[in-house]
Amino acid sequence: MHELSLVKSIIDLLADHAEKNGWHRVSRVTLRIGRMRQVIPDVMKFSFSVAAEGTALEGAELEIIELPLAGRCRACGYAWEEELFSCPKCGSSDSEITHGMELDIDSVEVEDQDAPKDKHSPICNGGR
Amino acid sequence: MPRRISIRQSVMAADEKIANRLRRDLKDRGILMVNLIGSPGAGKTTLLESTLAGTDLRSAVIEGDIATSRDAERIARTGTQAVQINTHGGCHLEAHLVEKALEELALDKVDIVFIENVGNLVCPAEFDLGEDYKVAVCSLPEGPDKPLKYPHLFCEAGAVLLTKIDLNKHIPFDRELFWGDVSRLNPNAKKIEISATAGDGMQEWKALLSRWLGEKR
Ligand SMILES: Nc1nc2c(ncn2[C@@H]2O[C@H](COP(=O)(O)OP(=O)(O)OP(=O)(O)O)[C@@H](O)[C@H]2O)c(=O)[nH]1
Ligand SMILES: [Mg+2]
Ligand SMILES: [Zn+2]
Ligand SMILES: [Zn+2]
Repeated sequence: MHELSLVKSIIDLLADHAEKNGWHRVSRVTLRIGRMRQVIPDVMKFSFSVAAEGTALEGAELEIIELPLAGRCRACGYAWEEELFSCPKCGSSDSEITHGMELDIDSVEVEDQDAPKDKHSPICNGGR
Repeated sequence: MPRRISIRQSVMAADEKIANRLRRDLKDRGILMVNLIGSPGAGKTTLLESTLAGTDLRSAVIEGDIATSRDAERIARTGTQAVQINTHGGCHLEAHLVEKALEELALDKVDIVFIENVGNLVCPAEFDLGEDYKVAVCSLPEGPDKPLKYPHLFCEAGAVLLTKIDLNKHIPFDRELFWGDVSRLNPNAKKIEISATAGDGMQEWKALLSRWLGEKR
């Protein structure tokens, strides 16, 4: 359920890009997801394939890059890369999560519409 | 030939923007917003019912549920305005849903907006709704191991409420384990033991709300 609601946001966002930029079809989507987002990749892929039906993303392959959890101690500054909620060095529980909350669309692969001959092509990639 | 386009956009960015805007707007109006999160049946609605009965604080309630408007009806019976959001399967509330619900409330004479999130100990903790504080609501019969099993909520919470403590007559509960783990996860969280039915802890909870409201104004 959780994956489905995330997938809907992703598809809305990319369908919007597709329409604005005249992408004919999106063939691949790469996401960067932090471990704290509690996403199960296979569930995400399945939800994506279902929710993408009837959109420019139908049939696109979903690639998920999982990012590890990282934290930092506010008391002594020590940093770590595992699931810890208190500092292994000084024992303080005043820590912050520095990585693991990411939920980003990294990139897409698109197939373009045949470019219209009499006008400028509407295709751009947002200056990025 | 397919071509690769870099997007580098956060999926949550749009919603986080809404959340920050809501927080600013409510700050300007001197309204406190509190987001109650806990398992199905933890006692969130019952806690709200007793909080609303006999308080000077003027409140409004946003009820999040997958289906039905039962909780909003329960709140409306206390004479407090309530809006129901149905997520239709969605397991958590998001800021854009709260934004719409706020538009339906008459907020000019309100001090506190309570949000009762969808009953779920997992993902509601990840979503910023524009609230000032998340409050973890965990009931005694759920067992004392919940903080470590669902750490994210307890890390994020401004307060942790242990509810239904009247049931300790019938159900054993290791308080030291529970509060010890809460303190290790989040030393700053306010900790309150409550029985909404017997009234224990209600004064302390209402005092905390008044303090939070005072800090906002
Ligand atoms: N003994 C006892 N029972 C309680 C207390 N608070 C709530 N309950 C009971 O617990 C059950 C669930 O309470 P609700 O307030 O509906 O729980 P909820 O968290 O709002 O549930 P959902 O909205 O479905 O997630 C009801 O049968 C309540 O009567 C309490 O302080 N003591
Ligand atoms: Mg309820
Ligand atoms: Zn969810
Ligand atoms: Zn440290």
